[in-house]
Amino acid sequence: MKFDRDLTISYALRIGVSISMFFIIVGVILLFVKNGGSGYTLAQIASYHSQMNSKFIYLGLIPKGLLDLDGIFFIATGLWVLVFTPITSVVIALVSFYLTRNKLYIALSIIVLFNLFFAMLVIPHI
Amino acid sequence: MLTIIEIVIRFLSILIGAFIAGLIGSLTGLGGGTVLVPVLTLFYGVPIIYATGASLISTIATSAGSASAYAKEKIANIRLGVGLEVATTTGAIVGSLTAVYIYDHHLSWLVYVIFGMVLLGSLIPTIQRGKYEIPKILKPDWTTRIFQLSGSYYDAKLHKNVEYSGVRWWLGEIIMFFAGLISGLLGIGSGALKVLGMDWAINLPMKVTTTSSNFMIGITAATGSSIYWYAGYIQPFIAAATAIGVLIGAFLGAKILVRITNRSIRWIFFAILMFLGIQMVLKGLYIINVITISPYIQFAISTIISIISIIILFQVMKKIEARGDVS
Repeated sequence: MKFDRDLTISYALRIGVSISMFFIIVGVILLFVKNGGSGYTLAQIASYHSQMNSKFIYLGLIPKGLLDLDGIFFIATGLWVLVFTPITSVVIALVSFYLTRNKLYIALSIIVLFNLFFAMLVIPHI
Repeated sequence: MLTIIEIVIRFLSILIGAFIAGLIGSLTGLGGGTVLVPVLTLFYGVPIIYATGASLISTIATSAGSASAYAKEKIANIRLGVGLEVATTTGAIVGSLTAVYIYDHHLSWLVYVIFGMVLLGSLIPTIQRGKYEIPKILKPDWTTRIFQLSGSYYDAKLHKNVEYSGVRWWLGEIIMFFAGLISGLLGIGSGALKVLGMDWAINLPMKVTTTSSNFMIGITAATGSSIYWYAGYIQPFIAAATAIGVLIGAFLGAKILVRITNRSIRWIFFAILMFLGIQMVLKGLYIINVITISPYIQFAISTIISIISIIILFQVMKKIEARGDVS
């Protein structure tokens, strides 16, 4: 069977959004059921001027947060799955350019991925 | 302190606000974020950093949601999109870092003013949209061949395969850089600028530009998101409610869009967007005391201006269309 780039991307995007929404919704339910998360009360988290924001949600704590059924880390996981969803589509596009030996577009999609990971991994540590 | 019932109501009210933003955003083609930020800041009192953070995340959700449908229909040009993403992701990095600088230096009024002006500016191409389905064919240039700007799609309305080939790839990239910059700075998808880049600069058919731009928006927003994340602009409670709300709104909007035959409904949406644009500019100027009139009078002024201008615009467009039919 021939590799259908457009269809694969379509499915990847749909699956990504579904997984992300699942985590976000479960996270919200957990927040309400457990009256808070990550050491904050629900009222503190729900405040518009909440000090509780992404700066203090360390990604390294996600596995433990998920095991503890902590709503904040479920939401964080959902949000990160969402961020990675479009990145997946670039990777799929890269694979398709590789299969068709389209050198120029292999280079261009690598630049896009470089930018994405530069923003993610390098800039926060400057 | 908020009680649990107040918190449930708050969550649902953000969700409904985001739903409406997603609905209007998809019906006007501007995307959820463009409406979401003014709604959250003006009506809910959410700080603008959290509003833009939530908006950027929601933008990915709507882009991925609608792009999955478009990619399946093979109208969106993925190759072209990825090629142009070189510029938008670079722009998004510059834009997000600019946002961090602005908020660190307590210049959030600037974001309000720029946001308002971008909102008003993006109404122009949206109003003009839909005049030509397929652009005038321009002579291919060197970029057409090197960057493989040609493609084709099946148009269900015209019952035929539409072949196209773009030109001026470099000009498209320049515009895309600014689209990315605005996206990173304001937390929106800046679809209007992306469409301008592909439509006006690269000369592609409208269907290809709108669907490809939709695909690209998510990648641009993903680039800015991680910078927003580490800067602390994403508040999980607000972001969770908006992501769900905008996604449902955009999904429903896309379904309704196909059925809307009465174009005058869209004029009401333009009036709303114009109102929000003027309000954002006024609020920004109010924060730094350039204008001192009370928010209620600001509200009245923006309402009147937007109603009058939409009525004038509507009459002018009607005349132009009537003339167009005769000649």
